[in-house]
Amino acid sequence: MRNFGMKRALVGAAIAALAINASAAQAATATGTAKAKILRQIQLTNTSDLQFATIISGATASTVSVSTAGGVSCGAGLTCTGTTTAANFNIQGTNGAVVLVGGDSSVTLNGSISGTMTAALTYSAPNVTLGATGGAFQVGGTLSVGANQASGDYTGTFNVTADYQ
Amino acid sequence: MLRFFKAFGLFSAAALGLAAVPAAASGDLLVAPTRLVLDGSRGTEVVLNNIGSEPATYRISLEIKRMTAEGGLDEIAEADANEAEKAALGMIAFSPRRVTLPPNQPQVIRVGVRVPEGTPAGEYRAHMLFRAVPDTVAATDAPKAASGGVSIALTPIYGITIPVIVRVGDLGAEAMIGEAWVGETRDGPAFNFDLRRTGNRSVYGDIEVTRPGRAEPLLVARGIAVYPEVGARKVSLRVPPELAAALKGPVHIRYTEDREIGGGTIDAVDRVVK
Repeated sequence: MRNFGMKRALVGAAIAALAINASAAQAATATGTAKAKILRQIQLTNTSDLQFATIISGATASTVSVSTAGGVSCGAGLTCTGTTTAANFNIQGTNGAVVLVGGDSSVTLNGSISGTMTAALTYSAPNVTLGATGGAFQVGGTLSVGANQASGDYTGTFNVTADYQ
Repeated sequence: MLRFFKAFGLFSAAALGLAAVPAAASGDLLVAPTRLVLDGSRGTEVVLNNIGSEPATYRISLEIKRMTAEGGLDEIAEADANEAEKAALGMIAFSPRRVTLPPNQPQVIRVGVRVPEGTPAGEYRAHMLFRAVPDTVAATDAPKAASGGVSIALTPIYGITIPVIVRVGDLGAEAMIGEAWVGETRDGPAFNFDLRRTGNRSVYGDIEVTRPGRAEPLLVARGIAVYPEVGARKVSLRVPPELAAALKGPVHIRYTEDREIGGGTIDAVDRVVK
């Protein structure tokens, strides 16, 4: 019941319009009140992941950087192939709203067999001013690959938030 | 193990690298409204909606954030919170704290406030974080590197925070717009200005930059706050290069209260943007 009520609030404009039409069609003498509250909202969607593509480690420690635009810079001694992407997040909300972007500055990746790697993260902007179609920000990173980095699946998580002030 | 990798790494890694991209991100979310101001007695509600294509479990929590002079919000660990921040965490109650939602299913989060007797007048604030709990199943589904590749799966745990502000007592604040200039950032040009604040509460509102003689505003930025922990902050808004060029010269900058509470002018100044 509660959920239904709030759903109605979110699509309030449409329902209010229907209610007004209905009462107007019935009788000129009838009066009615249509109430709807439109809440300001924010939506955050993740449309691509931070991908370092394929890395073959070398005999010396090195780094692989993926820029916030998705371009790769492969350090000396490493072989990098495949398509790299930066993580992309889309924000929808009030036109003109300024949304701050926050998140971890580094992430630790643990190997499935052994070993760890760390990646320093970079953000495309500290804040996003939303336009009529919303806005977006990207997260790139620099992965530190050890000399003869142990093979395996490396997994890690990092926190990202869109902050209203 | 290392020798093993050396032997097989070269011809296996290329094929098996990283293909662990989830087809549809789970955890996408909508939150409304985007700011809560409570006067100490009445509670309110926030709507959380799963706008992803998969069911997702969300966790709702309160965080402490402090505004910086640069206009960012620094996350503060609970152990480092000061008395006022701890008091804010203590007065704000909410439920539920964890919820699993199918796609397009909204959930109401009820937010209540209880101000203890004798709480000093002031503004108390915490930031409510809505965040999807990472899907542990996805990680185990990731393709395995067979005989020696390095595969990497970085999962973002992403969420939205909105401020929850509790005002106790009779509070007031004013703000003054300082110098304005166009500068270069790492990511392109930005329109910058200083915003100073006095009083015992935050100021919040919309910025409109107009050129004398032109009806259309050059720039509109909504939802700019100066929180009580700072007396001044810089506002830095990234703008396209052509707008950056257009902003230089004489402008009128107006800082107005939120439209929902009347939209009165907080400060309005004429500046020559360098």
